[in-house]
Amino acid sequence: MTTQTIPLPRAMQQDEKSTLTVLLALFKQRKTVTNGVSKSIFSKSLKHVFLIFSGLIMVFPFVWMLMGSMKSNDEIFSNPMNLFPEQFRWESFIEAFNSAPFGLYIMNSFTVALFTTLIVIVNSAMFAYAITQLKFRSQTLLYFVVMACYMLPGAVTYIPSYITLANLGLLDSHTGLVISNAASVFGVFYLRQVFLKVHPSLIEAARIDGAGEVKILWAIVLPQCKAALATLFLITFITNYNSYMWPSLLITSQDLNLIATGIRQFFIAEGNYGLNWSQIMAASSIAVLPLLTLFIIFQKTILSGIADNGVKE
Amino acid sequence: MMKINSHTLSEKLKVLLFIAPLLIPLLTFWIVPFGWSVYISFTDWDYISPEYSYVGFENYQYMLEDSQFLQALNNTFVFALGVVIPTVMLGLAFALLLHKNFRGSQLYRAVIFSPWITPTVAVSIVWSWVFETKSGLANLLLGKIGFAPIPWLESGDTAMIVVMIVTIWQGVGWTMLFFISALNKIPESLYEASLIDGCSPLTRFIKITLPLISPTTFFLVIVNMITAIQAFDQFQILTQGGPSGSTRTLLYLFYQQAFELYDMGPAAATSLIILLITGVLTLINTEMGKRWIYY
Repeated sequence: MTTQTIPLPRAMQQDEKSTLTVLLALFKQRKTVTNGVSKSIFSKSLKHVFLIFSGLIMVFPFVWMLMGSMKSNDEIFSNPMNLFPEQFRWESFIEAFNSAPFGLYIMNSFTVALFTTLIVIVNSAMFAYAITQLKFRSQTLLYFVVMACYMLPGAVTYIPSYITLANLGLLDSHTGLVISNAASVFGVFYLRQVFLKVHPSLIEAARIDGAGEVKILWAIVLPQCKAALATLFLITFITNYNSYMWPSLLITSQDLNLIATGIRQFFIAEGNYGLNWSQIMAASSIAVLPLLTLFIIFQKTILSGIADNGVKE
Repeated sequence: MMKINSHTLSEKLKVLLFIAPLLIPLLTFWIVPFGWSVYISFTDWDYISPEYSYVGFENYQYMLEDSQFLQALNNTFVFALGVVIPTVMLGLAFALLLHKNFRGSQLYRAVIFSPWITPTVAVSIVWSWVFETKSGLANLLLGKIGFAPIPWLESGDTAMIVVMIVTIWQGVGWTMLFFISALNKIPESLYEASLIDGCSPLTRFIKITLPLISPTTFFLVIVNMITAIQAFDQFQILTQGGPSGSTRTLLYLFYQQAFELYDMGPAAATSLIILLITGVLTLINTEMGKRWIYY
């Protein structure tokens, strides 16, 4: 018995030795061609290993969420470490949809975000046009007032805005949410930078032709900034779609909930004893997947828009 | 004379037409509320009763003795630093690896950025499962390598770390994108010169890259800090400020004072302290921005 077991480690030792010599040879070779191909391949693959590892960590929560939503609660309890479910159960999505109106929440978020974004685009564009292309006194003052609001944390405005909306009878309504988010400092800031890059001669020429300012903005300036408008649209839409704190203070009726407030209610109702992770993960997936899809479709616009025109003076 | 007057009047109307759609909501929900909050912070208003009295600086004086406030102030700074330093360092590391286009670089960028897109509430719920004490993945993995489970969200220090991890995870891609654009604006000729001089990659990084991107770095530190100070969603899902106030930041304290206790006076005062902090940070940012050239 013992004699039989000895050769195995020896063979392994030999194996190790041989791999070592190969490695050494490789290393020597690498040294002889310094800065050559093999070094760059080595550092390149190291880079990819690091990037793949980081990428996996970044997407892991999404994967874990999706897989969790498709396991049964029994399986989560008995085999908590399994990444893939024993069988893919789509039922938890149906159960989640049945226990809370997630479709309605998504529609609510979508409507509120869409209307807010449309208003923001229009009024930011008009304002940015006024401070970049129209000549009037207090132009810079106005810009500074808007920029000063940039440092105003939401918290400072919440109590009075809440009272104002209560006086207008707009608490617990989507209209209240939309109008209280209708001024976007970021929108002005972003479009001002973009409009400054529009060549002045274009606008001058249009003025000489007798075009009105609204027409110049609509027919000449905006078509020049399509990419920037798309980015602003997406960023504003996403921020409003995901917003949580202010809606959670305003909205009290269940059927007016946005997805973020709705999913939190569901989490509190179901999550107290940690027994229903499967449905909770299904609900989270319902909230997250539309946005990931949106991102996959528009990633180029979003990524380049932030990187090229970012918040930079 | 009349003609000129009516002309300037129509000019003024035109300007007004262009600025009013933004200015009206801005006044109603930003500027007036700001002044109003300052006023409320000098009162003891409780939201329900119509009567209240003017208390001067009492709400502010009370803060200095209020252990809850001081704890929240401290937590806010700990959280902000604990988020900003890793976010900026990781963001820079990713940007250095990804600023040149190669096959797959776009995919990596998208993957690293993707958490930023998703609702913080929903992803925090996912993380709350990962860090759950009994059946969470983090503790199961620790168990596999022979460590005792950690009560992540039930003990003060680790709860703060969990919220930091979630915040960094969500924000690092955004920071990376800014670094990528800064790195791509460094003139290639500078690198070529250093190659001729025979600099090692490390010296090149320290002597050329770092100084040239330092304005962006500074900008990102400040902006990330302001964002961290205003973080709320992940706290509400993961810790609700607990255990025993150890993750209660100023914003969370404001939320509890205003919308749980209806102490509007102290709440408004707290919100103005948040404004003071973000205001100072913003001013530093613009002042320094003027002195540096942005690449």
